[in-house]
Amino acid sequence: MDIFNGLLLGFSTATTLSNFAYCFAGVLLGTAVGVLPGLGPIATISMLLPFTFGLPVDTALIMLAGIFYGSQYGGSTTAILMNLPGEASSVVTTLDGHQMAKQGKAGRALAAAAIGSFFAGTVGTLFIVIAAPLLASLALTFGPAEYFSLIMLGLITSMVLTSGSLLTAFGMALFGIILGMIGTDINSGAARFTFGSPYLLDGLDFVVVATGIFGLGDVLMNLENERLRVVGVAPVSSLFPTAEDWRRMSAPILRGTGIGVLLGVLPGAGVLLASFSAYALEKKISKHPEEFGKGAIEGVAAPEAANNAAAQTCFIPMLTLGLPGTATMALMIGALVVQGVQPGPEILSQQPALFWGLVVSMWIGNLMLLFLNLPLVGMWAKLISVPYHFLFPTICVFMAIGVYSINNSVFDVYMMALFGVLGYFFKRMGAEPAPLILAMILGPMAEEYLRRTLLISHGDASVFFTSPLSLGTLVVAALLLLSIVSPRFRKVREEGLQEVD
Amino acid sequence: MNRREFIVLGGTAAMLASRGIALADSWPSKSVVVISAYPPGGTSDIIARLVADALTAKYGQQFVIENHAGAAGALAGGRLARAAADGYTIMISGSAPIAANKVVQKNLAYDPQVDFTPISIVAESPALLSASASAPAKSVQELIAYARANPGKLNIGNPGAGTKGHIAAAIIGQMAGVQINHIPYKGSPPLLADLLGGHIHFALDAPSNYLPHIRDAKIRGLAVTSAKRIPELPEVQTVAEQGLNGYEQTLWFGAVGPKGMPKEIVAKIHTAIKEWSDTPAAQKKFASLGLTPVVNSPDEMAGSIEREIRSIEPLVKAGLVEPT
Repeated sequence: MDIFNGLLLGFSTATTLSNFAYCFAGVLLGTAVGVLPGLGPIATISMLLPFTFGLPVDTALIMLAGIFYGSQYGGSTTAILMNLPGEASSVVTTLDGHQMAKQGKAGRALAAAAIGSFFAGTVGTLFIVIAAPLLASLALTFGPAEYFSLIMLGLITSMVLTSGSLLTAFGMALFGIILGMIGTDINSGAARFTFGSPYLLDGLDFVVVATGIFGLGDVLMNLENERLRVVGVAPVSSLFPTAEDWRRMSAPILRGTGIGVLLGVLPGAGVLLASFSAYALEKKISKHPEEFGKGAIEGVAAPEAANNAAAQTCFIPMLTLGLPGTATMALMIGALVVQGVQPGPEILSQQPALFWGLVVSMWIGNLMLLFLNLPLVGMWAKLISVPYHFLFPTICVFMAIGVYSINNSVFDVYMMALFGVLGYFFKRMGAEPAPLILAMILGPMAEEYLRRTLLISHGDASVFFTSPLSLGTLVVAALLLLSIVSPRFRKVREEGLQEVD
Repeated sequence: MNRREFIVLGGTAAMLASRGIALADSWPSKSVVVISAYPPGGTSDIIARLVADALTAKYGQQFVIENHAGAAGALAGGRLARAAADGYTIMISGSAPIAANKVVQKNLAYDPQVDFTPISIVAESPALLSASASAPAKSVQELIAYARANPGKLNIGNPGAGTKGHIAAAIIGQMAGVQINHIPYKGSPPLLADLLGGHIHFALDAPSNYLPHIRDAKIRGLAVTSAKRIPELPEVQTVAEQGLNGYEQTLWFGAVGPKGMPKEIVAKIHTAIKEWSDTPAAQKKFASLGLTPVVNSPDEMAGSIEREIRSIEPLVKAGLVEPT
């Protein structure tokens, strides 16, 4: 199917009344989730997952995707108006966005974020249209060795590019791999790290771990600051950027989009990294870097464009290779598998309506978000002003219901609580949990491919270096690691990442 | 089992006995979980979904598929063994987790002959030996010749250790006297992808996933494991035709519940599967997948399980199928 026919099919799929309605529901929920601190897309999607089982697969995916990229928009609203990032990826938006708000330019900052996001979303969608079929046609050249190398690259990327020390990130990834090993070995059926508990034989559900660490952990962290937190919502003035604003933000939006599109495809990088990198780049090449942190519109537009572009393009490896680059994408795979769809190179030929419908719905959803976030921003601001002591019990209840409903297991709820405490501990220690979750998802996949590669090659590990694709991937991974050791890059990394600490 | 658990279990058993009939009358009064032991897209999962849809249509309650792929179905089997025997959890799968795993896997957390209640076999099919476009052999004889010329080099992929694909390949190795390395996958879709990409050269698996690609000449069908050729691939010879006289391997897919499942519910599911598989729509669907519908009674299924296990034991003893 060529692109034109694909898009036609996509439009006819995405514009059916129910798909349109669920797309709207998804982005609306996503915005709300993005606005509320402590309730991220991972927790929300896992809560709503059982609800989508009764929906057709395209509708389900369209809605879940809407929640994910919708939350990227919502996250920036709180970041700008209240200096509170609703999502981790909008942390950098607080730096200049809230400064602008303090100077009475809140409306213009919101507009810069929304326009940047919309433009990036459009480009990201177009990129999927072109790149996904290409990658799917290449996917068959990926054997077990290539998959293993790609997963290694993903793990190393996530370690190198999170804030804090590399050693901590390495430790977190290692811990994640061990968590992923819990349960029944997929080749031999042997039980590993189960301590004799039948509850652990199926392994830990990463949704439980992620909801605990990101959801409950965030709530605990927020409660700690509750008494200190001053809920001040900056008033929203004119939403129209001035001519000067346009001039200053056009190029950063373009660059942010470019970074986001590319980093979204790279497994392990994800939306968080995209916004950090875009911010760091703008600061580096700006003619007036001293304005950054004091209300530079570039510092709002670029990272917002980047995180939204990445939120679209990270669907590419998930759909075409079945490789989840982020925890949210692993959830999407779960949603597809329940419906009997195995993501992989054949998804385009076997589920064209699903693929193209999703792509077109993303563009429609981005358009909806533009309207939801600019004219209706006052409504969201009200939502944030709800005192946290009303919000957090609700959030906790929803998380418990969501986790319980995965397997109808109380054990999972206890596990979530345990990982919630652990998540709080990680945050207090300054250990970024993203590599842990990703390693927990990718670790078992890496093991499966490693063992298969070595079985096929009769134990000869040189295949990882004789396959050009695998070698290339490993070289990139090695360069990334080496660059950390080099003092010059280390400085850049620390500068780029320290702003969020 | 400690004393408290024992008392709880005993109490539960007594309660179940008295409640069994009442339970069966109202069954299903809520959604039923159907565990699928392989990833979506493979033959086993397709059958599980077909049966789940048919049961949903008949009873008006959702029969929800849960995939637990890995360890040749042992993950799914373990999950079923731990589920409540109230008729709200069943498993539909190829034979490995229901039979072969008992002797092929040393660490199996359950005994399929003790911990499961047979419900019905649903369908049978031969296995298909297929080869990538760049494979070093275009027939079974060439495959055997290749294995003789390159000892220890012949890899054949299967959808999991202990699956019929694995066993059928081991028997080829036994009859031809050659060494075969068995490469387990999580299920058919990843195995097919590696075969299409030429990362592995041979696969022995249920035919349905491979048929369209053989028609497109992207991979080659080398042999079917049945006694006669199959209508979907009339030009592909049987293994027996290619020199291994008497070779015949059939794989089956069936439904089981946890042990102690009320007989009445077993009978209800069995009858529903039987009724559905007799419909022309189901017959047509089976034929397009290269499957033969075979609905036998729970007792007959228990016999099939026993025969399957007995037939694999000597292979394990002879070291041709290494227990993992």
